[in-house]
Amino acid sequence: MTHLTEEEMIQQAYGEGENTAAVERHLEACPRCAMAFTELKRDLAEIERIEAPPRDTRYGVSVWAAIADALPVYAPKPRSGWAGAFAALWSSHRSGLWFKGLGYAAACAVLVSSAFYAGREWQKRQQQPAPVAHVEPKPQAPRQPIVVVVLDDHLDRSERFLVELKHADLDSSGMVSPLREEARSLLAANRVCRKNVAKTDDPDLTTALDHLDSLLADAANEPGGLNAKSIAELQDKMNAEGLLFEVRVLRTRIGHRAAEPDKGGTI
Amino acid sequence: MDMNDHAAIQAVLAGDKDAYGALVIRHSQTVFRVAYRITGNEADAEDVVQEAFLRGYRKLEGFESRANFGTWIYRIAVHCALDSVKRRRGDQDSRVGDANDPELDQVQVADQAAGPERLLLSGEISSVQLAALHSLTATERTAFVLRHMEDRTTAEIGAALGIDPNAAKQAVFRAVQKMRRRLAPLRVTT
Repeated sequence: MTHLTEEEMIQQAYGEGENTAAVERHLEACPRCAMAFTELKRDLAEIERIEAPPRDTRYGVSVWAAIADALPVYAPKPRSGWAGAFAALWSSHRSGLWFKGLGYAAACAVLVSSAFYAGREWQKRQQQPAPVAHVEPKPQAPRQPIVVVVLDDHLDRSERFLVELKHADLDSSGMVSPLREEARSLLAANRVCRKNVAKTDDPDLTTALDHLDSLLADAANEPGGLNAKSIAELQDKMNAEGLLFEVRVLRTRIGHRAAEPDKGGTI
Repeated sequence: MDMNDHAAIQAVLAGDKDAYGALVIRHSQTVFRVAYRITGNEADAEDVVQEAFLRGYRKLEGFESRANFGTWIYRIAVHCALDSVKRRRGDQDSRVGDANDPELDQVQVADQAAGPERLLLSGEISSVQLAALHSLTATERTAFVLRHMEDRTTAEIGAALGIDPNAAKQAVFRAVQKMRRRLAPLRVTT
């Protein structure tokens, strides 16, 4: 009888045997190999897994903060001519936009056809006596996660505002006025969102909206309007609190919920 | 592939650097865990995490959109961790662990002083295991950690280490053999 090698046993113990059934049969028939295999499994079971020290939920944020400055920005590569068109088409295909584009085209075609058909029907009816109106009850639209979508939209706008603030040209007065107007608009929306979020148990979201509220209030109510100094202060405040990043993370999370109608009423 | 990862990668490649942060947040815990298991050192593991995400960012243009970012960054982290272990210990891949390993001798002396029962009861056996792990070559150690603690198949280990699956299998075998040999005295004395 040919006994099993240690390699075969190790492979078997990790569930990667090449001929598991044959090895099992051999183990049943051969007490010597069976004993060796039992010892091997015991030895392996006794080697404990190394448990990594726990990292809190902010760990990823701290990693990002540590490396962000060292990363260059990828520049989008525009192409021209047929090559560019093909690349754009391929790129949109890869990202799913190709299918979206097809969808939009189909929707437009349906819309145009419907309008044409409706126009013809209307013409015919103008020539006939009006029938008794029979109104079909409208099918009820599926329940939409309206509040979540609104919050998602708010975070989206806030993110864009923060990006503009981050890149605001301190010497350009043309950028300052729209920023202030947007801050005022966002401030009102943010307060509504905070009120809704306060009813839920979501400390991360609550904290982020509180930070946002503070920043927006400063931007909207700066005495004498925004200037280079106040913009720089707002940028410092935003960076110190990691607000842009916080908003991005929350938006990703909320976006998930918005895509899941059954979770629509959670906020 | 997770659509959020995909969207974030597209955004990064379109010039939105901050979108990479979402990927870092999502995967840093997993990367830290495997980095710590391979390096056995918290500070080194932290460095590995940062290095892995930096390398990942720089290679992002070559990332296949149909691949899984989590798996991809995991492999990069394994490479970084392996490099870290090699750097720390010098070129030890040719080293064959033996009874003269000073690291193990140190542990064995401590064992004798403490007594095997106390060792087992007080959990010091973990430190003996760690010393035994350190006695492996960097490749053996990494392969063993991936197989025994991360439940990766030999094919996955081969891919992560950039070696042939057979070579990965052999590395796991050698590691298990050495680990058993080094831990055997503890069992005999109990």
